[in-house]
Amino acid sequence: MTDFQVSDLGEARDAIQQAVAAKTRLELVAAGTKRHLGRSASYDAVLDTSAMAGIIDYQPEELVLTLRAGTPMNVVEKALADARQMLAFEPPSMTRILGEAKQGVRGTIGGVIAANLSGPRRLTAGAARDFLLGFEAVSGRGELFKSGGKVMKNVTGYDLSKLMCGSFGTLGVMDEVTLKTLPAPETSCSLLVGADTFADAVARISSIFATPHEPGAAAILPSAIAGEEGVDSGRPFTVVIRLEGIEASVADRLGHLLDLSGGEALAETKSVKLWQRIRDVQPIAEKPVDIWKVSCAPSDAPQVLAALDPRLETRMIADWAGGLIWIGGASPRIGPALRQAVAGLDSGFAMLVRDVSVTREKIPAFQPLSAGHYELHKRVKASFDPLGVLNYERMHEGI
Amino acid sequence: MQMPAPDQSVLDRRDDICAALKSIVPATCVIESRESMRAFDADGLSAYRQLPLAVVLPETVDQIAAVMKWCHQQGVKIVPRGAGTSLSGGALPLEDAVLLGLGKFNRILEIDYGNRCVVAQPGVTNLAITHAVQADGFYYAPDPSSQIACSVGGNVAENSGGVHCLKYGLTTNNLLGVEIVTMEGEILRLGGKHLDAGDYDLLGVMTGSEGLLGVVSQVTLRILQKPATARALLVGFEDTGDAGTAVGDIIAAGIIPAGMEMMDGLAIQAAEDFANAGYPREAAALLIIELDGPQVEVDALIERVEGIVRAAGASSVRVSQSEEERNLFWAGRKSAFPAVGRISPDYLCMDGTIPRRRLPDMMRRMASLSQKYGLRVANVFHAGDGNLHPLILFDANQPGELERAEEFGADILRGCVEMGGVLTGEHGVGVEKRDLMNIQFTEDDLKQQQRLKCAFDPGHLLNPGKVFPHLHRCAELGRLHVHKGKLPHPDLPRF
Repeated sequence: MTDFQVSDLGEARDAIQQAVAAKTRLELVAAGTKRHLGRSASYDAVLDTSAMAGIIDYQPEELVLTLRAGTPMNVVEKALADARQMLAFEPPSMTRILGEAKQGVRGTIGGVIAANLSGPRRLTAGAARDFLLGFEAVSGRGELFKSGGKVMKNVTGYDLSKLMCGSFGTLGVMDEVTLKTLPAPETSCSLLVGADTFADAVARISSIFATPHEPGAAAILPSAIAGEEGVDSGRPFTVVIRLEGIEASVADRLGHLLDLSGGEALAETKSVKLWQRIRDVQPIAEKPVDIWKVSCAPSDAPQVLAALDPRLETRMIADWAGGLIWIGGASPRIGPALRQAVAGLDSGFAMLVRDVSVTREKIPAFQPLSAGHYELHKRVKASFDPLGVLNYERMHEGI
Repeated sequence: MQMPAPDQSVLDRRDDICAALKSIVPATCVIESRESMRAFDADGLSAYRQLPLAVVLPETVDQIAAVMKWCHQQGVKIVPRGAGTSLSGGALPLEDAVLLGLGKFNRILEIDYGNRCVVAQPGVTNLAITHAVQADGFYYAPDPSSQIACSVGGNVAENSGGVHCLKYGLTTNNLLGVEIVTMEGEILRLGGKHLDAGDYDLLGVMTGSEGLLGVVSQVTLRILQKPATARALLVGFEDTGDAGTAVGDIIAAGIIPAGMEMMDGLAIQAAEDFANAGYPREAAALLIIELDGPQVEVDALIERVEGIVRAAGASSVRVSQSEEERNLFWAGRKSAFPAVGRISPDYLCMDGTIPRRRLPDMMRRMASLSQKYGLRVANVFHAGDGNLHPLILFDANQPGELERAEEFGADILRGCVEMGGVLTGEHGVGVEKRDLMNIQFTEDDLKQQQRLKCAFDPGHLLNPGKVFPHLHRCAELGRLHVHKGKLPHPDLPRF
C-alpha cells in the first residue's frame, strides 16, 4: 500500500477507512523524530501528518493555545516566548537521544503529546498530560471524535486527553489540540549541594522540599558527570535544585536554602544551560550507548540503582527528585536488571529509550504489563482501534 | 428525569440478592429496610430521590471485589457512593441497583513525607488529608467547598476542583495513584508513588469518570508544602466588564494568583448581609484575589496587582494586612451559597465554564434570560479559569418554578457551549447535565466515550443512567461500518 499524506482530519479519516478495508497497518509519522521510540514493529504504510501544522488560536491572557498536532516545536516555542509564556511541563527534545530525522527539525507538539514527554519541571508543575485540555482526532475506526475543550476547567465526559497522552499514536490521529500555557518565570538560578550517597542525595532533596522555599526542580548528578558539566560539589553526588520566579523571590529563597543546606549557587545563564542538558539527557545521549529510563518513587531509586552491577560501566543522571533515572550503558545485562528491580517495587516502570547494542527485538521497550492490565489495555485499544490499524504493537505485543 | 427502566427480574429477586450480599459481607453491613435506606436516597442534588435495591457497606477491599464479582455474575447493577455530596446526582440510587457505600473506608494508610504523598482509603474526607499533614507544614491542594464532608474517593470520581485550581490544579493533577475494583471484581492498581503512567494513562481516565469505570478503593495523593504567606485583595468595580478586564490583565502580566474569585451585585449583597465581611455593597462586581508564596514575592506581586486593578478602573481596593483580614475577605465568598439560600427559598447552582474573555457577553445573556424566565440569578465565578457558578433563585412551592429554573439553567449551559466553553467545570455531568451532553458533543464523540466504558464494563452494570443521554449496547457500539466494501476479519473478537 502506498503512503498517505493527509492535510486534515477528513483526509485522515479516508486514509484510515481505506486501511481498515484493506487490512493494512499504518505508521503515524509527522517530523519522524520519535520513530525509534517504543517497541519495534513493522507497518504496511506511513500516514504522514506533518501537513496538519500551524497555530490556530493563541490567547496568552486566557492561558490557552490551540494548534495543530503537526506544528513543529520550534514554532510553538517561538510563539510562547514572544508572549513570555511556556509549556510548563518543559518538553524535552528527543533529537539528542534519537538523532534528527531531518536537519534542524525538533519534533512536533503531537509527538510530545503522543509520548507524554515532560522535563525537569514535571516534578512540580505536572506532565504533558496535565496540560492537554482537549483535542480532535480520528480513531482507528475511521471516525472523527473530540474530547475535552478549550477552557481550563472542564469535567464534561471522560478525560480522553489523558489517554491520548502517552498512547504513542495507537488510539487516534490528532489534529487540533488545545494546551494550557503559563507565564514563563522572570528569572531562575540553581543551588548545588553535595551528597555522599545517592540515598543521601534523595534525602537532602526531601528536606529541601519540606521547606516553604518552593524548589521547582531537583536533579542528582554523580561526580564524574557533575565534573563534566562544571558543577562538581567535590562529593560523590551533586544535587541540583532549581528556583524560578520573580527576581526578589528567587534571591530570597536561594538565600534561605544556602543557609539551610550549605552548597553554592549557580547563576541564571549557567543554570539554564545545565537544566536544558539535564532535560535532553545530553550527558548520556552524547555517548553511543543504550539508554534506559526508570520512573519510580524517589525513595525506591537507591534500590533500583543497587541492582546494577558496578562493573557494567553505566552512566546515570537522575531528575524528578530521584524519581526519574536515566541510565546509559552498553551491556545487555542492564535492561533485565532494571526490569527485575522495578518489578520488585510497589510501582514504577523501566523503558528502553534508545537501543544501540541491545535490540528492541530482543527486549520489550515498555515494562511488560500484568495479566489484568494487559487485558484492560487490549480492550481500551480495541475500543478506539479494533483492527489495529494505528501504530499497532508500538507499545505492547497485540496492542 | 428519565432513568433506565428497572429490571423487574432483579426487583423480584431482592430477598435473594440481600441474602447473597449478607453471605459476602457481615449481615450488619447490608441495609435493606426502606426506613434505613432513606439516608441514601439522594446526594447533593437533592431534587432527585430514589431508594436503592439495597445498601451494602463493605469493610475490606476484598469484600468490595466479592460484592462486585457476584453482582457482575448475577447481572445486578451497582451505584457507588462516597460521602454523597455530588451536586450532579452522580450517586443517585437506582431502584434495581445495589448502592455500594464506601463510608467505612475512613483510614489514612500512610503518610510518606520522603515521597511527598499520602495513601488513604476512599472514604477519608478531603480536609482530613490536610489535617493529617499540616503539623508538618504540608497540605493537600484541591479544596472543593464541600471539603469538610466530601470523600477523596468521590473527589477522584468527580475530578473535584476548588478555588485554588488556577494555580494548583484539579484532583487529576494532584493524584498519583489509585487502586480500583472493576465491575468484574478485579483489583487493579493504576499509578503509584512514581510519576507518569508509562502505558495508557488509565489513572487519568478513571479520574472524573463519575463512578462508571470502576470503584476507587485506595488513593495516593500528592501533598505540597504550605506556602509561607498568603495575602488577598478585595476589589470592587462599578462595571462587570472592567472586572473581567482586570482578571485578564493580571494573567497577561505573568501573575498566577492562588485564587481569583468574582461575585456579581446580587451575590455581593447577599454575602455581605450574611457575613459582614466589609464588601462594597454598591459594587457591580467584586474580585477577591489571593497571592501566596514567599513573603517578599507576595508583597511584590500584591503591589503589581493593585496597580493593574486600579488601571482597569477599580472603584475600591483593600489589601489584607493580617491573616484575620484575609479570612474575612473569604468569609463572604465562602458563605455565598448559604447567603443566597437566605434570600430565596430554593436555588439551583450551575457550573459551566467559558473562555474568560466572553464574560461580559455571558453577563448580558444571563440578564436577559433572568427577565425571560422571571427568576433572579446571583453569580459567583472562579474568575481565573472562567468557571461560572450562577445561582438561580426560585421557590419550589410555586408550581412550575423548579421546571422554569431548570430550563433557565439549561439555557445558561447552552450559552456556555455556544461561547466556546463547556457544560461543567467541576460538578460533573451525573444525571443533572446528562441530557445536555449532545449540545457539547456529537453522537460520534459520545459513542467513542461509551466504547471506553465498554472496555471497563461491557454489561453497563456500573452506575448506568449517568453521564450519557443514550445507552448503547456494547455490541452495537463495537460494530464497524466500513467504507467501500465488507468488514474485514470477521473472525476478530469484538465485544
